[in-house]
Amino acid sequence: MLKQFFQTTFIMLALYSCGSGAALRIGEPAPYFEGVDSSGKVQRLADYRGKIVVLEWTNHDCPFVRKHYGAGNMQDQQRQAATQGVVWLSVISSAPGKQGHVSPAEADELTRNRNAQPHAVILDSGGKIGRSYNAKTTPHMYIIDAAGKLVYMGGIDSITSSNPDDISRATQYVHVALQEMAAGKPVSTAVTKPYGCSVKY
Amino acid sequence: MKKSLFIKAVLLLSCLFAPGTLLANGTAVVSTEHATVTLLSEQVNAAPDQTLWLALRFELIPHWHIYWRNPGASGSAPVIRWTLPQGWEIGEIHWPVPKRIQVGPLTNYGYEEDVTLLVPVELPPGALLAGPQTIIADAEWLVCRVECIPEDGRLTLELNNTDSDPIMATETRELFSAARARWPEAKTLMGHYRLAGDTLAISVAMSDTLSSAPADVWFAASEWGPVDASGVQQWQRTGTAVTLTVPLGDVPPAADIPLQGLLVVESEHEGTPVRSGYQVQLAAQPLATGNLSLMTALLFAFLGGLILNIMPCVLPVLSIKILGFVREAGANQQRLTFHGLAYASGVLASFTVLATVLLMLRAGGASLGWGFQLQSPLLVTLLTYLMLLVGLNLSGVFSVGGRLMAAGQSLTASSGLVNTFATGVLAAIVASPCTAPFMGAALGFAITRPGWQALAVFLTLGAGFALPVLLLSLFPAWLKFIPRPGHWMKTFQQVLAFPMFATAAWLLWVLSQQTDARSYAGVLAGLVAVAFAAWLYGQWKPGNWRLGLLGAGLAAALALAIGPMLAPDAPAHSRAALRDDRPWSEELVQELNAAGRPVFVNFTAAWCITCKVNEQLALSTDNTRQLFETRSVAYLVADWTRRDPAISQQLERYGRSGVPLYLLYSPTTGQPLVLPQLLTEGIVAEAIHAL
Repeated sequence: MLKQFFQTTFIMLALYSCGSGAALRIGEPAPYFEGVDSSGKVQRLADYRGKIVVLEWTNHDCPFVRKHYGAGNMQDQQRQAATQGVVWLSVISSAPGKQGHVSPAEADELTRNRNAQPHAVILDSGGKIGRSYNAKTTPHMYIIDAAGKLVYMGGIDSITSSNPDDISRATQYVHVALQEMAAGKPVSTAVTKPYGCSVKY
Repeated sequence: MKKSLFIKAVLLLSCLFAPGTLLANGTAVVSTEHATVTLLSEQVNAAPDQTLWLALRFELIPHWHIYWRNPGASGSAPVIRWTLPQGWEIGEIHWPVPKRIQVGPLTNYGYEEDVTLLVPVELPPGALLAGPQTIIADAEWLVCRVECIPEDGRLTLELNNTDSDPIMATETRELFSAARARWPEAKTLMGHYRLAGDTLAISVAMSDTLSSAPADVWFAASEWGPVDASGVQQWQRTGTAVTLTVPLGDVPPAADIPLQGLLVVESEHEGTPVRSGYQVQLAAQPLATGNLSLMTALLFAFLGGLILNIMPCVLPVLSIKILGFVREAGANQQRLTFHGLAYASGVLASFTVLATVLLMLRAGGASLGWGFQLQSPLLVTLLTYLMLLVGLNLSGVFSVGGRLMAAGQSLTASSGLVNTFATGVLAAIVASPCTAPFMGAALGFAITRPGWQALAVFLTLGAGFALPVLLLSLFPAWLKFIPRPGHWMKTFQQVLAFPMFATAAWLLWVLSQQTDARSYAGVLAGLVAVAFAAWLYGQWKPGNWRLGLLGAGLAAALALAIGPMLAPDAPAHSRAALRDDRPWSEELVQELNAAGRPVFVNFTAAWCITCKVNEQLALSTDNTRQLFETRSVAYLVADWTRRDPAISQQLERYGRSGVPLYLLYSPTTGQPLVLPQLLTEGIVAEAIHAL
């Protein structure tokens, strides 16, 4: 017991020493990642230094994802982001054999069929990027600013339902954050509850 | 397969909109592919001014689950919208104790098989409208195995219906009592929490509630945000309490906001697992630093500075000094004022230097990983020892700096404006036998505060110290009010020891909330050792031996308190078996990778405490060593103890400004997985198994 106490103390001291621990924190550098997209190209966070990057965890069979794609909400936001010069990366962390896992061709087909406009779709079937970002749900959204710092993490909007009728009544957090960033203002709501299906690691 | 699931879901949605079957005897049922949902009333007949209990019962097909109020990492709690007769007031859902449901690396809170959610309804006192009373529940729930299906249904129930079945009513009542048996215990347990880095340290008082040895204890916050449901929790029993270390969620609790949640105790009773829950209300741990406001501290510092003037080793010196410059200035009032100002600025300069040195030491210490917060039990322990030493010094058990005083006296004996300034500069130091205690107290306070506050405290102490002499230089006639040095000064000094002892007692109280009884006993033993060392120091005559002895005594005391944690678990040489002796290089990683071996790279440094903790708790354990061996993982160490440009570059590549950094390269992709900065055996094992 005594040993455990000292270990706890030690860990506390350790935590003071090296700043952040495992958890992601707003205002800190977003975890570095690199992953292969549906066209076979390697996407690196470092490639987009100087640009705002949006990460969208997705799984096309998840009802919560379908809520936002079915109503066109996700595509609208992707399109708007693109016009603002924001790099929107959809990430699929479903493991092979699990729901939402797709081949590169299937991913491209989904993008076409749904008329989606992501900059790229990263296939993270090993779940490496998902785990390093602690992505829990689909959708789970992150915004990284031009300096590579995390400025938003959480849900796509404020009403945690799978009903598309709720979209118009909800606050679209990512949209609001991007508008605020475009206006040079700090992101007012930086952390929200992500909601949806679990990421199928 | 995916497609068929989708079709199923669509078919399902269409059939969901069918209204629930209405049964006359106080129940209504909706069936979906995954769940049979029943709305029940505990009473067949509703009466005025009554608390009527309604229930929504979910019977789920095997392996599927629905969620608790806080669903955990993902998922969504059931939502019920009620349509009730006028004046009926619906209460909150009473949630049964949930279980943890693991979905890959994520943890959810929910229910499998069946669950009954009870809801109280308050009926108005006036007579009810004649005829049947209709209750409508529009429920939405998310049911998941790994994939999730949102379902909903409308359930309609009629009460006060004439032809109800009494036998069915008995069965219903049994369902209600079974549901109540799955509630958390009626008594809310009190406790407290504090932020400790990326975790919450929670302590809950559980004197008699925890009978047998539980298999597991875990905490779930009532709402999403403060706690990361998926993280590893650690718990232990400490006498009458349970303490837990719980990973912090995305929204850490704001200071002094109480935290609510459920403490779940899992145990085994005659071979069957038993899960009981306790509502807990956690108060934010009173931050000890908040107890003394800055204004109070400044007031005390000023008074302390004034009091310094009448300390036995200061007053005689000052009297001589003042008389000296009064004599030198003669009738020249202006010159006298200059002397006063020179002295005051000297004192303030000296205190500024002291404060700066302190802040620099602190900054240095912080970069070495010393936590200068009263949340740190180690710092509280050290401050307690300091306060005890200060008190013992005032009591006259020992004294310090006798030589300095002698030197000071000779210095102050000379005259001139510059000399007066020098007197001011050195006043605090030359009179150190008496100023040290006050310095110690100020230091004790200042070390826990932001820089500017520490500086303010020191300057105020200096101002208090300089003020009397400055006043006397302005109004030399007041010299006659100066009390004569005498034995009273000694008594006064001894009385002052008691506030110091009181401070030590207060610090011990703070510490008692942070540690368990055994560690606390260690600290108390340390206090005795400190006192003994101080006494020895005071007794021993031959000069230089004394410091050595004091040092040895203090070291012994510190060893008692902090020694055990420096002793590593495993002998150091066993680590060598695990580690590849070749130093890290990118080429070596690629070479090993090409040979089909996974590579684990530990970016570390000798001065990085986090790294050492990780190595001790996660990397050099038997389990990890075994795992590395069986999976033939190459373990490379990149030592950043001295700056190494190649390592710095690699750290930068992963967005890190420093160590630790842990990379696990898979031989199949050659791509590294970045492990968290705080490792556990579990994290390492999981990462390796995922290769």
